[in-house]
Amino acid sequence: MFTMGIDIGSSSSKVVILEDGVNIIAGEVIQIGTGSTGPKRVLDEALSKVGLKLEDMAKIIATGYGRSSVEEAHKQISEISCQAKGVFFLVPSAKLIIDIGGQDVKAIRLDSKGGVKQFFMNDKCAAGTGRFLDVMSRVLEVNLDEMAEYDARATEPATVSSTCTVFAESEVISQLSNGVAKENIIAGVHQSVASKACGLAYRCGVEEDIVMCGGVAKDLGVVRAISKELKKPVIVAPNPQITAALGAAIFAFEEVRGANI
Amino acid sequence: MSRLETIISELSSISNNPRKAMEDYKKETGKGSVGVMPYYAPEEIIHAAGFLPVGIWGGQKSISKARAYLPPFACSIMQSVMEMQLEGVYDDLEAVLFPVPCDTLKCLSQKWKGTSPVIVFTHPQNRKLEAANKFLAEEYRLVREKLQTILNVKITDEALNQSIETYNENRKAMREFTDLAANYPQIIDPKKRHAIIKARFFMEKSKHTAMVKELNSELKSLPVEAFTGKKVVLTGIMAEPNEVLDILKDNGFAVVADDLAQESRLFRNDVPSGTDPLYRLAKWWQEFDGCSLATDAKKSRGPMMMDMVKGSKADAVVVCMMKFCDPEEFDYPIYYRQFEEAGIKSLFIEIDLETTSFEQTKTRVQSFSEML
Ligand code: SF4
Repeated sequence: MFTMGIDIGSSSSKVVILEDGVNIIAGEVIQIGTGSTGPKRVLDEALSKVGLKLEDMAKIIATGYGRSSVEEAHKQISEISCQAKGVFFLVPSAKLIIDIGGQDVKAIRLDSKGGVKQFFMNDKCAAGTGRFLDVMSRVLEVNLDEMAEYDARATEPATVSSTCTVFAESEVISQLSNGVAKENIIAGVHQSVASKACGLAYRCGVEEDIVMCGGVAKDLGVVRAISKELKKPVIVAPNPQITAALGAAIFAFEEVRGANI
Repeated sequence: MSRLETIISELSSISNNPRKAMEDYKKETGKGSVGVMPYYAPEEIIHAAGFLPVGIWGGQKSISKARAYLPPFACSIMQSVMEMQLEGVYDDLEAVLFPVPCDTLKCLSQKWKGTSPVIVFTHPQNRKLEAANKFLAEEYRLVREKLQTILNVKITDEALNQSIETYNENRKAMREFTDLAANYPQIIDPKKRHAIIKARFFMEKSKHTAMVKELNSELKSLPVEAFTGKKVVLTGIMAEPNEVLDILKDNGFAVVADDLAQESRLFRNDVPSGTDPLYRLAKWWQEFDGCSLATDAKKSRGPMMMDMVKGSKADAVVVCMMKFCDPEEFDYPIYYRQFEEAGIKSLFIEIDLETTSFEQTKTRVQSFSEML
């Protein structure tokens, strides 16, 4: 039996196709999100990769910011529940999830069965999100996937104190013009992202294992900064961008199986 | 339309259109209205003068002019009140009663931009001393004097004691209503519940009481049906705009009790009995507890809410955090920890009167309903 999870975020679209609730046979990501052609394209891509059709899916569940606009879905579940489901499947020892996506930062605490015990989300503000890193990468002329390498070479992380993306951008520009090394500025940017996420984690209650997911988890500079702030190791979920889509696909499987019992 | 539906729709339309309520009152009585800023002003004094006390709670609004007068981190409700002041919304009021129990109000009270005269007074924060009652009664005496001068009427002790009784009767009817509403969530959804309560800010209280009493008896005559959704207690300053309440409803939540400054905190206690009306009103403040604006060394808000959860058989608490409200933000970690220890689930949502986008609130509420 095949089930599908579709996660439409603010800046990316993700699809997971699951076979019998355990095998991830497709996990596709396109870096454009809700309101774009991304959702349709990622869906087609995932299906064609495994040679399946939409009709082959026993159930499709949508999640993410754009979850209510996915016509193909039979149901929608919030990304917090899906993230918890997906991460727990991959890392059953997870107790705290830190999820940083395009425009949301979330801390989710799990109980021993993987259920959501508590969660906190950021305020309506881009600081500390993927969008914040996008802006900084543009200003610094460093690709997102190179930021972690730069960070690793930092000798004296700069301070990026502004809590607002717009002000932080001008702060970074003035540091650049004062000749501060990009490596140090990037380490400062990562610390600023980490401090936002950790604020939510502290509210939630910090308990190991701590797992990071969401697109920003691919930036190891952020992961290191979070680990340093929490003074605890942080595990990056395998393929961290698709964990919510995976969770949705697992929910879909469980619902079909539940209905068949 | 049944009698029940008619009452609900009348109260809802009053709560949505305070201006019309003010005009109707003027037509009927020839008397105007006096604005009442949050929180806990002795409205009874205005009522005893024969004028209509009108609650000022801002509204859903985009903010532009107010930015020139307020820091960006001033709370959302006062941003909207300032914007409305600048638009002249409150200029038809004969006067405005202005308590100052938080820093934002204290500063705002000194820069009222409307044309109505403003009467500022202070609630003492060292509340449990007898001296606090004497101080506050004296403040209220000054409020009465100023109102008498502005409105050109005499406010007698007798009229004031009578108004206190009228208000206590309203409080009692409201307590009965909120208890009943918890049993009939299919009829009294979160938005209707709020509108019925809010209407009391724009109506002469005995009229509101009469309608609520009738509503209560209509409700009581109906069978109680099983409710399959989740039951919550709301806490905070207020739960507006209506979109927030609709999101709760759409996700299967019923509001079975509240600890909102705009709602139950106003009527959970009666004004105590006595002969000196100003002293009685002052004493109400001393006996009042469980609010971020009333200093409470024992921090009884958490335990009070836990009792509320138990008493109303609620599944959880929804914290309606007014954006940038420091008194409420300071209280939150204290009661949140108490909830955690007691195993009471809570959801934190932000109340922002300026916003028109509710996606985040939707995600939070939906996730919470999936979590419970
Ligand atoms: S109590 Fe909070 S919301 Fe009310 S005026 Fe003060 S700061 Fe603003």
